[in-house]
Amino acid sequence: MAFLMAFRKGALTLQVKFALYNALSKALIIAAFMAILPLIVEKVVYDHIDRRLTARSDRVLLIIQRGGIDDIVLEQDCSFESYNILKEDFVAIYPILDPTKSTSTFKIDNEAWSIEGEKLEHRIIRRPFTYDNQLYELNIGEGISSIEELKSTIQKFSFWMMLGVVIISIFLDLGFVSLLMRPLNKIIGNKLKPVPSPSSFDFTEVPSSTFEFNRLDQRINEMMHKLRDAFQIEKEFISNVSHELQTPISIIQNRLENIIIEGNLSEDVMIRLTDSQRTLSRMSRIIKALLLISQIENDQYIKTESIKISSLINEVAEEIEDRTNQREIKLMVNVDADLEYSPCNRALLFTMFFNLINNAIKYNKEKGSIAITLSNHNDKFQVEIKDTGIGIEQNQLGTIFDRFIRLNKNSAEGFGLGLPIVKTIASFHQIEVLVASEAGVGTTFTLVF
Amino acid sequence: MNVLIVEDERSLSHEMEIYLTRQNFNCDVAFNGKSASDKLHTNNYDFILLDLGLPDMDGLDLLKEARKMGSEAAIIILTARGEVEDKISGLDSGADDYIPKPFSLAELQSRMQAILRRKHGLKSNVMTVQDFEIDISNRTVTFNGAPINLTKKEFDLLHYLCLHKNRVLTRIQLTEHIWGDVLEDDYESNYIDVHVKNLRKKLSAHAPTDWFETVRGVGYRINS
Repeated sequence: MAFLMAFRKGALTLQVKFALYNALSKALIIAAFMAILPLIVEKVVYDHIDRRLTARSDRVLLIIQRGGIDDIVLEQDCSFESYNILKEDFVAIYPILDPTKSTSTFKIDNEAWSIEGEKLEHRIIRRPFTYDNQLYELNIGEGISSIEELKSTIQKFSFWMMLGVVIISIFLDLGFVSLLMRPLNKIIGNKLKPVPSPSSFDFTEVPSSTFEFNRLDQRINEMMHKLRDAFQIEKEFISNVSHELQTPISIIQNRLENIIIEGNLSEDVMIRLTDSQRTLSRMSRIIKALLLISQIENDQYIKTESIKISSLINEVAEEIEDRTNQREIKLMVNVDADLEYSPCNRALLFTMFFNLINNAIKYNKEKGSIAITLSNHNDKFQVEIKDTGIGIEQNQLGTIFDRFIRLNKNSAEGFGLGLPIVKTIASFHQIEVLVASEAGVGTTFTLVF
Repeated sequence: MNVLIVEDERSLSHEMEIYLTRQNFNCDVAFNGKSASDKLHTNNYDFILLDLGLPDMDGLDLLKEARKMGSEAAIIILTARGEVEDKISGLDSGADDYIPKPFSLAELQSRMQAILRRKHGLKSNVMTVQDFEIDISNRTVTFNGAPINLTKKEFDLLHYLCLHKNRVLTRIQLTEHIWGDVLEDDYESNYIDVHVKNLRKKLSAHAPTDWFETVRGVGYRINS
């Protein structure tokens, strides 16, 4: 089970995989080699013995040809047998008395040979020959009891040698792979880590003599360059458009104000003008919000101030008090821990908390409550804003920070830039925003500093 | 009161001129830096409303020039929002205030009056409407000496309406005055109506408030 766990998605690095593959493949090779080694040894040894036996039999036959068989065959029955004292080698010649029944052919085989009543395993060459019209069979044997010993010695020796070679080669491989992979690890470490925006991407070239890594690095850089430029163009576009729209909006706004003051208009026209003023105000706010977001993203705001988070929240709570009172919502601020936060942009943080708390009011139930808790959690300061509101459906949680997403489509209020503003200000201050929600129960926003 | 409007967008300067003239200001308009500089050298102004994005020069240079000449005019910078907000606030520019565009003329006027109060020490920091006294410095409202407990927003609302007496202020104008500093995603709420309702309730506990008029479909007006 634990072994299988190692193969779950992304659990192993390339280097570890290489090492595993190396070790496994080499172990497999050793095992295969150890399995066939005895066969090879046997083959080699028998080949050797067979050649020796054949050569000996040739010599014996040569001697017989030159000197005659009578010098050798001393026995009565015209046979000859000679062996050394360890009974390892022997030479024997037997006349074949009835050639018609004989099956004697040239062959080399293992056989138990009986020497002075003792049966010992021998490699024996049987070679029939004719001398003086008499058929004989020459037998030359060589003891093979030592061969098994030889086999096991060779096996042991080669096993340890190969193991040594494999271990050394695994270490060498590991070293080489790690050297080889260094540029890739660097690319992954430096280039693929999450960055808040493409402008903070590290474009430094990763040096490598490996073609693929060079290519990868170059392509990632190129893609990020394109992405950065696209982002930049978008940001500048939003910024320029918003900026350029301010003046025409100013003109219409001021003209409407002047016309409304003049007052000598019918009630119907007055109401329609007021309505236009409201529409214009809506447009103006959308543009201001877009401009704010793009200016924060373009680092046009500065962080130089220092504030106590609890006092900022109390200030927001006071500013928004009328709205909580109006809906009879109970707002509680629990200060378990506090933070003197710097450097920061006070006005932006005010806007951030204002929007979060305002949302908690807006989407709350009548006579509901909002609990704001300041605490330290896992060594990090955090602010939790928990409401008893209508909540957010699980499938919508992922999109709430996207621009122009309105969760409650039936509601005429808002234009879907409140939470994007919150998110942008939070990212600008490197504050993490977490959200948890249950439809009908409430929503909790947690800011982790 | 003499006002110099330095703004290259003619329609905009025209509307400002109309509004301020109606409020009994004498307005002079300059469409570029050079003409503004000339006017500064020949006339005395109480207010300079200065757009920073002039066609021929940087508005901030004009501001420095005015201060160098020893002009005691109150200078309000009109900026396209965000342009230099942070820079200005950190910068000893010599301006008395700055208003981001787009701004409401009513808001501009209230800022001008706030500067006047601050600079010259208005004869009285107390406004009266009927028998109610509004003390702007202490942010209190009293009726025949009896204090009336208003929330911050209620006070701001009453003060703003009194500042523009006899003129209807629309809900949007009031909303932008009261909540304008914070950029929020809540543009059409009825908070103003609730504030007015509560405010009326608190005031009418002391005396009738028929002078506090609701203009149907438009907004509110204080008559006196």
